[in-house]
Amino acid sequence: MALALRLPGLNLRPMHNDEAVNAIKFGQLWDHGGYRYDPNEHHGPTLIYATAAWARLTGAPDFGKISEARLRWVTVLFGIGLVLLLPLVSDALGRTGTLWAAVFTAVSPAFIFYSRYFIHEVLLVFFTFLALAAGWRYWRTRRLGWALLAGAALGLMDATKETFVITLAAAAGGLAMNQVWNRLLDASGPPVKAERLKAWHAAAAVGVWLVVAVLLFSSFLTNPAGPLDSFRTYLPWLNRAEGNSPHVHGWGFYWERLLYFHPGKGPVWTEALIFGLAMVGTVAGFRRQRLAGANASLVRFLAFYTLALSVFYSSLAYKTPWCLLSFWHGAILLAGVGAGVILCGLRHAWHKAVVCVLLLVGTVHLGWQAWAENTTYAADQRNPYAYAQTSADILNLVSKVEALATVTGQPDQVLIKVMAPDQDYWPLPWYLRAFHNVGWWDHVAQEPYAPIMIVSASLHAGLDEKRTHLMVRYFQLRPKVFFELYVEKKLWTDWLARQPPASSSE
Amino acid sequence: MVPLMLKLPAPAFKGTPKDIPLSTFVEPLSDKPRAPMMVPAGLSNLAKGTKMTCSDKNATADALAKLTDGDKEASEESIIYLRKGTQWVQVDLGSPQEIFAIALWHAHNSAKVYHAVIVQASDDQDFIQNVKTIFNNDQENKSGHGVGTDREYFETHEGKLIDAKGIKTRYLRFYSKGSTESALNEYTEIEVYGRPAK
Repeated sequence: MALALRLPGLNLRPMHNDEAVNAIKFGQLWDHGGYRYDPNEHHGPTLIYATAAWARLTGAPDFGKISEARLRWVTVLFGIGLVLLLPLVSDALGRTGTLWAAVFTAVSPAFIFYSRYFIHEVLLVFFTFLALAAGWRYWRTRRLGWALLAGAALGLMDATKETFVITLAAAAGGLAMNQVWNRLLDASGPPVKAERLKAWHAAAAVGVWLVVAVLLFSSFLTNPAGPLDSFRTYLPWLNRAEGNSPHVHGWGFYWERLLYFHPGKGPVWTEALIFGLAMVGTVAGFRRQRLAGANASLVRFLAFYTLALSVFYSSLAYKTPWCLLSFWHGAILLAGVGAGVILCGLRHAWHKAVVCVLLLVGTVHLGWQAWAENTTYAADQRNPYAYAQTSADILNLVSKVEALATVTGQPDQVLIKVMAPDQDYWPLPWYLRAFHNVGWWDHVAQEPYAPIMIVSASLHAGLDEKRTHLMVRYFQLRPKVFFELYVEKKLWTDWLARQPPASSSE
Repeated sequence: MVPLMLKLPAPAFKGTPKDIPLSTFVEPLSDKPRAPMMVPAGLSNLAKGTKMTCSDKNATADALAKLTDGDKEASEESIIYLRKGTQWVQVDLGSPQEIFAIALWHAHNSAKVYHAVIVQASDDQDFIQNVKTIFNNDQENKSGHGVGTDREYFETHEGKLIDAKGIKTRYLRFYSKGSTESALNEYTEIEVYGRPAK
């Protein structure tokens, strides 16, 4: 089910600015063997290296021929991985809880949308869950291997996205609060026959964490500044978190998207079912009643952790919608427990059958929303998870440029000049990657004229005033952001001459 | 002779751009006021209340009447939607008129640009004979009425003001073929300023 909802039409949604940046960074690694961590932007190296591994594994061609779908497969696989990791915590969530957590992970519209999005977020959630699950297994068994796996997962979290420190803080806070609750209010006790924690196991885990992080940030020991940059990165990010960013939103930003999103005409989007069931699971964890095989202490930890994470993210001024995945995953695990609590609390088989049907109806509704968000509404502003999304019209611009280039006889050699303030021309570097003579300016170039010029409408360039070029059409990059396409007059007339006679309109 | 090799600037990486929330407020894309159009004195809006027809058979007479009711707001109630592809609406002025200016609003509920906008005049209601083109920005000739030479423009609350240069006609036809936002065709209001032909 997770695959069926994540795979269809991976090429459908135009590349987002951030996806294109990640893709070009991967391209530099793939074609030229170079990657260098940038502490100012664009997050850690795991996405780029995971993509390189995937590309090698699948025999990918040159970067110019790699498709969006091949790149998005990487995040799809990590999204699927969240389902596959669940058996590691089945003794924590209970069998029924684990099953429903798998179902909700598979159909959650937020998780499906961002599993098909070539950015770091799903990787961060995957490595976080891996660290939590390995930590849980270590807690249960005291085996060194689980501690080392948890350490490796922490290293991978570190090398994925700077916000991993928020996750760490929330997990530490959750552990502390759970300990306080266990000892003072509701001592459920340590696991049966649990041995004492071994300090050297913890030290070995931290060692693995550091080795993994250093290897990745240093681009496998080729960039000595990388590991230090992984600390320097927090200066610009703290600046953004305090509100020096175009992504400042109110505290309800995430909850509006998750619980009730209905701007303008279109469907109402909601994942309230997951939220409601998470509440049920949380209450059961604190009451230690009808837990259906779930571990009360772990459920309480998840509740504290999810609460801390969601409060932290909601209180930060800087918000982008994909950040919600971190705490929403905790809610999904709790929702699985909640579903188990309800089902196991019912005595009569037909009561269970009715609740099962209701849960399945809710699941189908979630699945339908996910489908709509990834097809009809994939690049629509009414989609709660489409944020600063590239408009579908940009694909028309790319098609037009490709068609014009064909007329020149040497399509990949045609000179194209792209001009837009603040480098606001992404994702065009991805779409124009097969052209060898493309120049990029953040202003009108001193010598702007070229056979093809793509110019931000906000520059009011007027490059058709000399009558040597025509401004043939506007194209929408994003809502309210437009490009003008200028074409050399002769190239345009040559292209027009090759067009089949237009039929008169209906 | 060898090909000239140019060193071009590489793209600079950019962070997540600002998200623009869905709203009906369209900021002006230029702060320059539109230059006034000079016309003879004593003109009136000849389109008001005239008979409208269109290429989309699903559009009812009541819906088409919205195009000349004076309501140019950006609300859903003010806009009519025609199908995908090239579509047209037609104004019958009742008798030949001397036209000096045409104002056209497709939809200014969001920032968008309409494609293949063509305005034609004719004395033939089927637009087969004696067809004159007043405005044409269909530079690709997608609609088959010839290659246009006019520039595309942004939809704003000001509408598109077209100089009709005193053309004498009874029928006016307005073509379009979708926008940067959608393949559908929207129309809000049409005004035709002129006087009875002498």
